[in-house]
Amino acid sequence: MGTEGRARISPKFCNCISLPALYASRQFFHTFPFTKGGRGGIDEEEVYIVAFLQVIDLVKDFGGVAANDHVSFDIDQGEIIGLIGPNGAGKTTLFNCIVGYHKPDSGKVLFKGKEITGLKPFMTNREGIGRTFQIMKVTAGMTVLENVMVGAFCRIDRRPIARKEASEILAFLGLERVKEYHLNELPIASQKKVGLARALATQPELLMLDEVASGLNPKETEEMVDLIKKIHHEKKITLFLIEHVMEVVMPISQRVIVLDGGEKIAEGLPKEIVKNERVIRAYLGEKYAKGL
Amino acid sequence: MEALRDAFDFRDFSKVEQIILVLFSIFLFIFPWLGFGSFVKTVMIYFLLFSLFGMGWNTIGGYGGQVELGKAQYVGIGAYTVALLMVWWKIPFWVSMPIGVLIAVGYSFMIGYPLFRLKGHYFAIATICTSLVLQDLFINWKLVGAAKGIELPIRDHPDFLYMQFKSDTYYFYFIMVLFFAGLFYMNWFRKSRLGYQLRMIKDDEEAAESLGIDARWCKIKAYSIASAFVAVGGGFLAVFNLYVDPYSVMDLDLSIKIALMAMLGGAGSMWGPIIGAAFLIPLDRFLGSWLGGQKGLIGVDFMIYAAMIMVVSAYQPRGIWGIIEQFRRK
Repeated sequence: MGTEGRARISPKFCNCISLPALYASRQFFHTFPFTKGGRGGIDEEEVYIVAFLQVIDLVKDFGGVAANDHVSFDIDQGEIIGLIGPNGAGKTTLFNCIVGYHKPDSGKVLFKGKEITGLKPFMTNREGIGRTFQIMKVTAGMTVLENVMVGAFCRIDRRPIARKEASEILAFLGLERVKEYHLNELPIASQKKVGLARALATQPELLMLDEVASGLNPKETEEMVDLIKKIHHEKKITLFLIEHVMEVVMPISQRVIVLDGGEKIAEGLPKEIVKNERVIRAYLGEKYAKGL
Repeated sequence: MEALRDAFDFRDFSKVEQIILVLFSIFLFIFPWLGFGSFVKTVMIYFLLFSLFGMGWNTIGGYGGQVELGKAQYVGIGAYTVALLMVWWKIPFWVSMPIGVLIAVGYSFMIGYPLFRLKGHYFAIATICTSLVLQDLFINWKLVGAAKGIELPIRDHPDFLYMQFKSDTYYFYFIMVLFFAGLFYMNWFRKSRLGYQLRMIKDDEEAAESLGIDARWCKIKAYSIASAFVAVGGGFLAVFNLYVDPYSVMDLDLSIKIALMAMLGGAGSMWGPIIGAAFLIPLDRFLGSWLGGQKGLIGVDFMIYAAMIMVVSAYQPRGIWGIIEQFRRK
């Protein structure tokens, strides 16, 4: 029972042991003054960068409830990774731990080989991680263009350039028609796109999308899937998405990670995941899964 | 250069707003020759002064959305610096005012750094507290005149260096220059990177952080800008009244007035603080002198004052400017 899932992820678990060791040695090289210049001819980057984003043994506890329980996985540059799981599985918590809204109790997050555990959200953003929110606060304070300009101001100081950049991104996402509207005047699909646009405007290398298709009708969902593909294809951004809607996650994800009760229960290709017994059980419950 | 262009560029306002701004500027320029009495002139000076205070408050309170109720401490710092430097070392106003602003900015960083760990109401309360503490300190501090305050030594002749004039007209023109400087600064500020970031923080702080904005640092910066504005006004208040005491320049009343004016006019908009001051200062002064002077009617002016604020804030939380915009959109 479930051994299939275990077996598949066990090589990844090796990382849990080897990576902290590697990390420690890296720290040592940094602190050791004589090796700092040459490092004995070994290119540090070459040796230690194993993956684009690494989450190692991440634990987050909310007063006795383990929202994330020893979660580990890697993401390679250029991938689209889906993160699925039933409600309360700890998906958003995992996002928040990576980006820095929560400080993990233990474990590490490495982005491009650099530790970003516990950094504040704006710092991780400056490292190159963008994110969107499941629920956007919609206010009448700023127009769509201004929203996206704020994102662009992350890397650009001058207003005309930020404005141009923002306009380009809005055109890219097909939002130039609603540019002068306020967020609260837009339908939810456009609001989600604005969220996407302003995250894109910060020029992230890794974009984390939190339920980008929730609350959308099938047609809008389809559009959103196309948009995500387009972003991945044209902007060459690594995507990591939480998704409830299987129509979104299954066709575009190259790999899917499944969380349940804070634990990672499976990881693999979408077509393998849908057949995984533990995943089916997590989604349907013990009672119904037995009937299968 | 680009900043200067932004500051003087009012093109993104509507035609009506531009025309009103031009007419208003002309009115200000010719106002001293319209033959009004000294009472009206004083009201006008206070209107411009409180517009300046309001514009300062607007950076953190309006654009940044942080309700700040401790601006009086910076008025006090500005006023006391000018007064004390003049009394102790005869330093002219033009030197002591920038020093006051520098002290206010430094102090605002010291206060802002721990205070911006707090959010919402807690932040508002904490700003009140720091202001009250400073006021109490000055009330009991013998060196700076304690509760009695300090009087500025009066020069024999009108003196530009010390900003002492016989006529209010000069004070009027001086505060008018400051007012326009503030106006142009705000016009730049609302288009600056910091302005955009603050508005994002006001809308949604979490999202702002996800867009690479260091929310706390942005707030501290805006807070110190606000403090600088207010300290300039405080310095002016010292030379205008030739008298500084903790009750007149550091009172909680003053803090609340500054915030109220901007909120009533419309926090987070360019014209809000000016409109707010244009409503409340004449109301405050005229009602105060008219009703306050009559037997049995003391305090009625405050009631009218309060009722007006309640009506506006119940009808449109974005103040008078919010009401105007609401009608314009229709």
